[in-house]
Amino acid sequence: MKTVGSSRPIHDAWAKAAGYTKYTGDIRLPGMVYLCLVRSTIPHGRVKAVHPEKALALPGVCGVLHCFNTTQRTFNRYRSRFSQDELPNEERAFTDYVRFVGDRVAVVAAESQALAEKAARLVEVEYEELPYSIGFDDTLEGQNCLPGEEPVRDEVILENGTFPQDNGMIEVDSFTELPRLHHAAMEPNACVADYDPYQQQLTLYSPNQAVHGIRVVVANYLEMPFHKVRVVKAAMGGSFGAKQEWFVEPVAALAAKMLGRPVKLVYSRAEAMTGAIVRGAVKACVRGLFTPEGKIKSLDMDLILDAGAYVGNSSDYIRTLYSKLFRCYYVPHARYHARVISSNTPVAGAYRGWSAPEEALILERHLDAAAHKLGMDRVELRRRNVLLPGDIDLRTGVPLEEIRIREALDRGRELFRWNQLKQEDADFNASNERYRRGTGVGCGGHGSTYFPRHDDFGEGWITMNEDGTIQLKITTHDHGCGTVTMLKMVVAEVLDIPDSDVYLAEGDTANTPIDFGCFASRTTFVLGRTAVETAGALKTVLLERAAAIFHQPMEQLYVEGGAVRNRENPNLVWPYAEVARQSMLQLKRNVSAQAQFNNVTNPGVTGAHFAHVEVDTWTGYTRILDYLAVQDIGQAINPAMCEAQIQGAAQMGCGAALREEMVVQKNGQCTSSLSQYHLFLAPDLPDIQVELITDGRSTEGPFGAKSIGEVCYVPAAPAVCGAVNDALGSQLGALPFTPDCVLKYLARERET
Amino acid sequence: MKLSFCVNNRPVQLETDPDRRLLDILREDLSLTGTKEGCAEGECGACTVLLDGEAVHSCLTLAIQLGGRHVVTIEGLSETGELDVLQKAFVEEIAVQCGFCTTGMIMSAKALLLKNPAPTKEEIRVALSGNICRCSGYVQIVRAVDRAAHELREVAYGKPDAKNTG
Ligand code: FES
Ligand code: FES
Repeated sequence: MKTVGSSRPIHDAWAKAAGYTKYTGDIRLPGMVYLCLVRSTIPHGRVKAVHPEKALALPGVCGVLHCFNTTQRTFNRYRSRFSQDELPNEERAFTDYVRFVGDRVAVVAAESQALAEKAARLVEVEYEELPYSIGFDDTLEGQNCLPGEEPVRDEVILENGTFPQDNGMIEVDSFTELPRLHHAAMEPNACVADYDPYQQQLTLYSPNQAVHGIRVVVANYLEMPFHKVRVVKAAMGGSFGAKQEWFVEPVAALAAKMLGRPVKLVYSRAEAMTGAIVRGAVKACVRGLFTPEGKIKSLDMDLILDAGAYVGNSSDYIRTLYSKLFRCYYVPHARYHARVISSNTPVAGAYRGWSAPEEALILERHLDAAAHKLGMDRVELRRRNVLLPGDIDLRTGVPLEEIRIREALDRGRELFRWNQLKQEDADFNASNERYRRGTGVGCGGHGSTYFPRHDDFGEGWITMNEDGTIQLKITTHDHGCGTVTMLKMVVAEVLDIPDSDVYLAEGDTANTPIDFGCFASRTTFVLGRTAVETAGALKTVLLERAAAIFHQPMEQLYVEGGAVRNRENPNLVWPYAEVARQSMLQLKRNVSAQAQFNNVTNPGVTGAHFAHVEVDTWTGYTRILDYLAVQDIGQAINPAMCEAQIQGAAQMGCGAALREEMVVQKNGQCTSSLSQYHLFLAPDLPDIQVELITDGRSTEGPFGAKSIGEVCYVPAAPAVCGAVNDALGSQLGALPFTPDCVLKYLARERET
Repeated sequence: MKLSFCVNNRPVQLETDPDRRLLDILREDLSLTGTKEGCAEGECGACTVLLDGEAVHSCLTLAIQLGGRHVVTIEGLSETGELDVLQKAFVEEIAVQCGFCTTGMIMSAKALLLKNPAPTKEEIRVALSGNICRCSGYVQIVRAVDRAAHELREVAYGKPDAKNTG
């Protein structure tokens, strides 16, 4: 292969390094007004009145929209396709019944951002407060329930396989509690909306993961036909799931339509933290049964997810979490009981990995506990349980194809010097008082498409310009991880041209084909293959046209080096530009094609991460000494970008394990500043090592590729947590393992 | 107040409130949108610019502090339309993903190299400790700064510099 498999910067790296790239917050349309939301200051209650008079009195304030002067209609932020009619519409743009500190009550529009913010502070809201709850216990007790409401909003019991009857099984119990997390995409959520009242045409620009999903939600919400709503995916400053649910777009759209002027809504960091979505708080108990040799016989999991103020995606989320149990290990019997509760806290939603990281944290913690109980090495225990090439996903029956998790563990054990490190740590720990070292391993699996949860497909449109360059239209949503470049490379490979000769516009409902969006890690796998098919269709057209124009037998023609050639006669060479032009001049036809790809597989895609840490028992501070990520990726299209993305996942995982936590205080206020939400910075991390296993190729992905963006985050936090527990000889289960948490554990240990 | 200062080597005069943030002056009054806002409280570094050669958070720098001083923004590094050494190194080392941290990161690195043309990798990491990148593990970013430092020294001294980079 000439292009696929070779590394390069992403398509807009130059413009980003220059500061030239325009993100949504940088857009300024003529006549545009700036929005600032007025948010609930109480966790639960009814809005009695909104007094906008003082705000409206400021010169330059164009309007105040609130729960009493806007539509009663509702929408569902999580909806992403036309067919999800079962999802309840539970949200208004502005509500008179607030369910958390940060719920939207009103919005102020003004001639400048500063003025909008100032005016928003002048809007007075009268509330009637209701009892509220912020944690698992008070919510389960029904403290915030209105008459007739039940604390549990959804509940599910699922089972696969039959309960084992073997003798001599060993029972292992574990408990894990995971806090709310913030995505911390550096660009906060934003939307610019422009409404043309004369053509009733709405245009939305936002960094988002599904232009067609937003169209469904906004068109239904505003009762507009789909062709009158155009959604354009703008440059995205990171998402990690934060930009795949819609709470900015419907609000901006409503405001633009009501005010008759273009509007811009950009969240502050505090709003992105508390007024958008978070990863929901979870706690889970697992009872496992193992053979004395360490084989899993049964897992019984009981889990609670706090959806926060709105149920949103949580019903689907708990079900998906269960399905992740079958993506990495052979689990012959599993029983699962999960409940969703709804407290008065920020809304839970999508987060990188969409429940797989939580599943992995719960299960990997359990396997560490099992290894401890069985006296087995933690890598070895995992080796004995991982899925092997040819296995199937026991939940869905879908083949896992060339899954390579065993190889990932083996390769990692060797590269990381696992056995030697364990010995070195034992010596180190024996010879000093203050510092304790430990190693950890984490495994995780994911998918590469929606299939079989939904049927998945992609569509591509392609045209050759008169100079032989390519216009490609596939609805992609690049988060900054290079999916545009990936698609260009795939097309370039098929047509044997440089990828710089391919132009690809991102998702735009007016200009690119229908697509489900950048969910389920499906972009490389589904859309990459769609690009292969689309380029292949164009190749066929090129050959047919060349045969007709130059009177050649079709079967003698082939493409190479950006030209159609004749196998029998090396002197017959027609550059693409020539074919494109003659096709127009002689045949009066454009060289273009269209293709669809229907996806019917979902191969196993996995990773094994290894962490080596040092815990300071005086300060409780944990330092990451070494980190290795081994990913079973199939073909890496742009390997250096994959590596960079995997290192980013390791950074996020270290954060989730050791630092990151959104704390809700008694009054319902949640962490709303990066000064209290601690992220890993350059000096805190070692050079994260990455190893790609590329021989576990998929059958359907482009050139054998599988997904990477989410699966690489799944094993990260488990590896680091395992290392801390190894260092301390502990079985800590409540994340994150902050210095405080470590010191408390050590103090408890000293007492006993 | 009347404010006269210098932005990217050009004199600028404007009428503004003394408590207006440099970040807003750049983005709104001067349309220099390469400088980003990620937190508005000095935590993320996305808004970093040079003020008389020092890296500062433009979200915490007010108009009243600016009179007669010289600000360099990311746009000031590539005024001819060509990326400077540091920007190119970020691109070529694959240090750019979503790009939202990139401009601030580059300005922090610029300030470092102005003071210390031969930083160790450790010094680079420390100099970037006020800049959050959520997309990466900082590996390529550190490599990019290291590479730019080497290249700049080559330009300055005509040959690869022997000083190690830790
Ligand atoms: S915006 Fe200035 S430091 Fe974050
Ligand atoms: S490249 Fe996205 S935050 Fe650094």
